[in-house]
Amino acid sequence: MNNKTAFLAVFGILALLLAPNVLALGISPGRTTVDFTPGLERTVSFSIVNSENKDMNIVVAAQGELKDYITINDKSFSMSSEEGSRQVTYTIRLPKELSPGLHTAEIVVLQLPEEGKLSEAYIGAALAVVTQLHVNVPYPGKYAEASLNVIGPESDGKISFVMPVLSRGEFDLVNVRATIDIYTSLNKKVATLNTNEVSIPSRKRKEIVAVWDSSKAPPGPYRAVATLLYDEKSLTLEKDFEVGEKRLKIEKIEVNDFSLGDIAKFEMLVENTWSEAVRGVYSEMNIYNKDKKLMAEFKSPTYDIDPLSKTLMVSFWDTAGVKEGTYDSTVYLRYGGKSEKEDLKIEVRENEINVIGLGYAISERRAPRGENNGLVTILVIAIVILVMINLLWFLFLRRKIKSR
Amino acid sequence: MKHKHVFAIDIVLIAGTLLVLAGLIGYSRPLVIAPLPGFVTADTSVLFEFEKAGLILIDDNPDFTSPDRIYAEDNLVINLKPGVYYWKVQGIAGTESEIRELTILSEVNLKLKQVSEGMYEVVNAGNVELDVEVYDDKEIVGNIVLGIDESKEVSGTKFIGSQKD
Repeated sequence: MNNKTAFLAVFGILALLLAPNVLALGISPGRTTVDFTPGLERTVSFSIVNSENKDMNIVVAAQGELKDYITINDKSFSMSSEEGSRQVTYTIRLPKELSPGLHTAEIVVLQLPEEGKLSEAYIGAALAVVTQLHVNVPYPGKYAEASLNVIGPESDGKISFVMPVLSRGEFDLVNVRATIDIYTSLNKKVATLNTNEVSIPSRKRKEIVAVWDSSKAPPGPYRAVATLLYDEKSLTLEKDFEVGEKRLKIEKIEVNDFSLGDIAKFEMLVENTWSEAVRGVYSEMNIYNKDKKLMAEFKSPTYDIDPLSKTLMVSFWDTAGVKEGTYDSTVYLRYGGKSEKEDLKIEVRENEINVIGLGYAISERRAPRGENNGLVTILVIAIVILVMINLLWFLFLRRKIKSR
Repeated sequence: MKHKHVFAIDIVLIAGTLLVLAGLIGYSRPLVIAPLPGFVTADTSVLFEFEKAGLILIDDNPDFTSPDRIYAEDNLVINLKPGVYYWKVQGIAGTESEIRELTILSEVNLKLKQVSEGMYEVVNAGNVELDVEVYDDKEIVGNIVLGIDESKEVSGTKFIGSQKD
């Protein structure tokens, strides 16, 4: 053995010893869905992914309810480290009859353990991944499956109730619609909505939608109860959703009867905009000096604030040693792991404290439209030129020529 | 037919105006470039390329009853869950492009890292939530659910991962 061969052998052994103890195997798609037809015969393909680029011994087998109707076309094979993925197929031959509903099978792809390797860096476990086969057999007559999704609220308060409906029966659904009742947490009905009306062919999926303007509804938890009506049948679905945010708002902060050097009593008027009580709320106020360093920190006791109501929260600041001036301040309202923050300025005078900065405007986020400005300009110029040419001809030149 | 030439100019002007308007409408119509129609991939990050549009609409049905609206001035990579999608772009004055279909295939991908003798870190490296059956020899000893990119340490000799319902 010459030096080069010895070096390569040592390098190879080291590489094996240092190789990470990792096995990986992928399969795509994870599920294939087929609509049943009597005696259906179809070849389905899937990919086996060699994610770690290793030499692998693979075994493929079918299991589950429909396994007897499946033939794997390549039951065992090896994949080299250079083979990133391999396409494999299986054939399904379904019987003439199956009971209505979902029937399944699993195609299991097993990577055999790396036994008998030279290094210790091998994994003795077996790894397998599954691609599922779902066969949907239609129900007799008309049959619908549906779900209820609540999307929003949007910035304008609109909430969309979207119901994807699947026609799982043998016959088409001619008339599909729903009514949606909205209830508060106290079970009071606040709105009834009607969706659009659609017809859905057998084994197809369509969506019906209703929109609710929640901008005037008090923030809080709500429940939507949808009754899906399809031809002569019905189906009821429910979904909880929330309008607005659980939010406390500082309306006003006042300090009355104050003298510099004494204890200042901060009265903070806090509004609960949520339609349920918020419990264990307290305020924390930080005041910073000119160097932006914290010079005072004081908290209020805890309060329970009733739904859609206001409470006065009180906290105290000892102003001994504080000089007249304007200070930066941050107020936190803390409750149930959440906090609301307000940045303020505190103007301290000999006999008064003014709190500046409450109330602010939230700027609306607009969609970016800059790129289209050039296109709009071109279109506007072109249309203006067209209009001018037409006006010039029909109002002036045409008359002039005719009068000659 | 005294002013025959005047009527001829009328016709030419009206036809020309209509042609130019049709051309302008065609020119201003948003153009979708990629993904190509019927594109199928297992990669959940998809590059959307388009021109003359500022809004991408993506929905799981071709009627666009509840689309996701994504404002974008330029080409954009969007992460999507496995499924069949329909997409189009909207340009100025609400002009819309053609509708294209896009399929993201689910991928079940399981990774096994040996932590110690008989102990493994099981990683979901695919793009769907996984149901993993854990075996000790031939007996099933547990079942774990792994979210995308989630991992758990378990002991066993065989691990079977499948897409969760």
